[in-house]
Amino acid sequence: MGNKKIKKDQLNTLFNELSKDCSVLVPTRSKGYIGFDLWDENNGDFIGWYKNTTIPLKANFFPKVEDMFRFNKGEGGYEIKEILPEEESQIIFGVRPCDARALKIIGTLFADTYKDPYFLKRRENAILIGLGCNEPCDTCFCASMGASPGESQDVDLLCTDMGDELLFETVSKKGEDLLSNMRGLSDSSDGDSSKAKELREAANNKIQRKIDTSNLKEKMRANFENREYWENVSMKCMSCGICTYVCPTCHCFDIHDENNKKDGLRVRNWDSCKFPLFTRMPMENPRHEKWRRVRQRYHHKFEYYDMNFGVIACTGCGRCIRECPVNVDVTQIITGIQSL
Amino acid sequence: MENRLKEEAGKLLKEGKVDYIVGYGKGSVKFRTSPLITNKEEELENLVINPFIANNLSRYPIELKARVGIVVKGCDSRSLISLIQDKKVNREDVVILGVPCEGVVDIKKIEKHIGKDIDQIEEIKREGENLTIQANGSNQTLSFKDAIFDKCLGCEYPTPLEYDVLLGTEISPKPDMEKSLMRIKELENMDATDRWSYWREEFSKCIRCYGCKNVCPACFCERCFIDVNIPQWVNTYATWQDNLVFQLIRTLHVAGRCSDCGECERACPVGIPLRSLQRKMVEEVKDLFDYEAGVDKDALPVFTHYEDTDPEEFIK
Amino acid sequence: MEETKWEPKVVGFLCHWCSYAGADLSGSARLEYPHNIRIIRIPCSGRVDPMFILRALQNGVDGVIVSGCHPGDCHYQSGNFHARRKFAVIRRLLDYVGIEPERVQFSWVAASEGPKMAQVINEFVEGVRKVGPNRLFKDERRDGE
Repeated sequence: MGNKKIKKDQLNTLFNELSKDCSVLVPTRSKGYIGFDLWDENNGDFIGWYKNTTIPLKANFFPKVEDMFRFNKGEGGYEIKEILPEEESQIIFGVRPCDARALKIIGTLFADTYKDPYFLKRRENAILIGLGCNEPCDTCFCASMGASPGESQDVDLLCTDMGDELLFETVSKKGEDLLSNMRGLSDSSDGDSSKAKELREAANNKIQRKIDTSNLKEKMRANFENREYWENVSMKCMSCGICTYVCPTCHCFDIHDENNKKDGLRVRNWDSCKFPLFTRMPMENPRHEKWRRVRQRYHHKFEYYDMNFGVIACTGCGRCIRECPVNVDVTQIITGIQSL
Repeated sequence: MENRLKEEAGKLLKEGKVDYIVGYGKGSVKFRTSPLITNKEEELENLVINPFIANNLSRYPIELKARVGIVVKGCDSRSLISLIQDKKVNREDVVILGVPCEGVVDIKKIEKHIGKDIDQIEEIKREGENLTIQANGSNQTLSFKDAIFDKCLGCEYPTPLEYDVLLGTEISPKPDMEKSLMRIKELENMDATDRWSYWREEFSKCIRCYGCKNVCPACFCERCFIDVNIPQWVNTYATWQDNLVFQLIRTLHVAGRCSDCGECERACPVGIPLRSLQRKMVEEVKDLFDYEAGVDKDALPVFTHYEDTDPEEFIK
Repeated sequence: MEETKWEPKVVGFLCHWCSYAGADLSGSARLEYPHNIRIIRIPCSGRVDPMFILRALQNGVDGVIVSGCHPGDCHYQSGNFHARRKFAVIRRLLDYVGIEPERVQFSWVAASEGPKMAQVINEFVEGVRKVGPNRLFKDERRDGE
């Protein structure tokens, strides 16, 4: 099936049409930060200002806090009532390629030996419409992480901003089905496709920040015990969890029980390896010192995840660089390791 | 100022008067600086002083447990003095390099004023009372006062209150309280129920990254109540109730220590107006006990002593 | 089914040396105070951390009363003086965020003041009754309604 395009001023009509059958989420900034929220007539203006969300896409599939199940102690032992996400399907519009890729990366983990029903159910019910970046941020380094600002294989449909129009290209079967049902779109020409290609190349060339990932695993392993290096780079870190919570691939969580006599609720919530309490055990804390915690985060992303799943758990979205209150920069840390 | 700083910092390290210099270095992002902590003389070349030195560095001496030469602005000096009052930092262990400060530029305000984002801004230049901002090749002028943090607008102590070396000349304060406290006044004029819904909305955004607590120089407990799980005072997961209760408790714990440095609000990735809580408490502590945090290193911290005449008309 | 009338449920943090003994005295003197209060004995009003009050409200009580010795009578010399400073800011902050002032009260009651204790609790519970059930922390998602 061919590609389609739509005039930008027709977008709200399209969203309106789509939201009749399912929920449509678009980037919004009315809350004081940028995140995906339900579309309505008043928040369809994001094309003009949207770069990327503050809170990454993962939060829509792996929320900061989630009820898992209720339990009840009866005569014959415990009774468990599962709480699964609603079946409702949703369309998320405006997903950036880095975030779509990140979702795929953590998707491998959530679908590994233990199949996480919460994440997978949501993922199954979601259609991702990507939006390629023509103007990447100063902090982006996706081009070094095996991705490109304008391209994505991890979404269902990919949009490219062509000025007055958006070009829709199908990536998956799900996307193809959706596109064939969308009204108000016109067929695109070969010229459009080549224009989109040019835009993508231009975007790729705009990426300034770069890191070198060749032999990185080995290099990191060799410097695992390089305490001096890690102490140095972690000196200014404040041990807050911002970098991990705004990271689209950080996926650590903690589990709590809320007990009330016989009934209870099991909840899971985000947790961060930057917190000293993360690894605290009755007798000791193997990562009591800050440098060990900082080292853990980068080793997990660039070494352990690669060892386990064959891919680096960083997509170069640059959120951690942007949001860190003391400007700890992952690209400087990795470049530093490469130059050891 | 910058050269003088490098010179003084170099002297301190060379003469062995301090183990570390804590100052500002160039950031890896446009229009930002980053804390520079070093014991190497050659790295002092990277020290900077400019209108983007937002961080409050006074937390570092607690952690470094060493003699530190530290760069402070007016508000930071109050945090540091407050830490000295609380005996978390020894005055003898710090050499204070004071920077008189006219205000720190809030890049988000500039983005809003000129309607362009940080990536489009190429240069920000200070020219007297104005900033010239070059974005997408064209220039725009903005009053310096419109581009600095709210907390800076109401700054009463632009010159550090305690220093060993003052880099530059004293600045006389020109606080514009009305502007600086505008948001707090707006909240005060709302109905109690609306205020509650306002905070409820704001705290439903909270992701519990603890950025606010970890950048705060007044949050110096070795173990925060939030990290205590026997008993679990506040749930660690991010429901709006727990988020709000956590922040209210934190606000009360730092009341009387908060110097309105605004770091909590600046750090918050989801934009919760935390300063509206903290600064309100600064006002209340002043009103109730005629006390300001960190203006006198020999004064007793406000909640470690009392007066017979303390207000108690609310006690029945 | 018979409709049950809402009754306020309040928590009292009473200091061991004065107010708790005061409450005890009012009991032994057969003075009546409402059963709406659940008393928690604390060593000193200075022990009260703002989190006691906030957690109690979060967990759904309709009011919190903190009571200690009169200034000058503290068993530990100055516990209540320190507490007084804390209470003043706690009150101001709770007002500011929109918690009804009637829900949180501080008072000084001595061990000999049995009648005063009963009166203070009575008045407090009536005040709470007027502002109604504490729905501040209700969550539609978890608690229904």
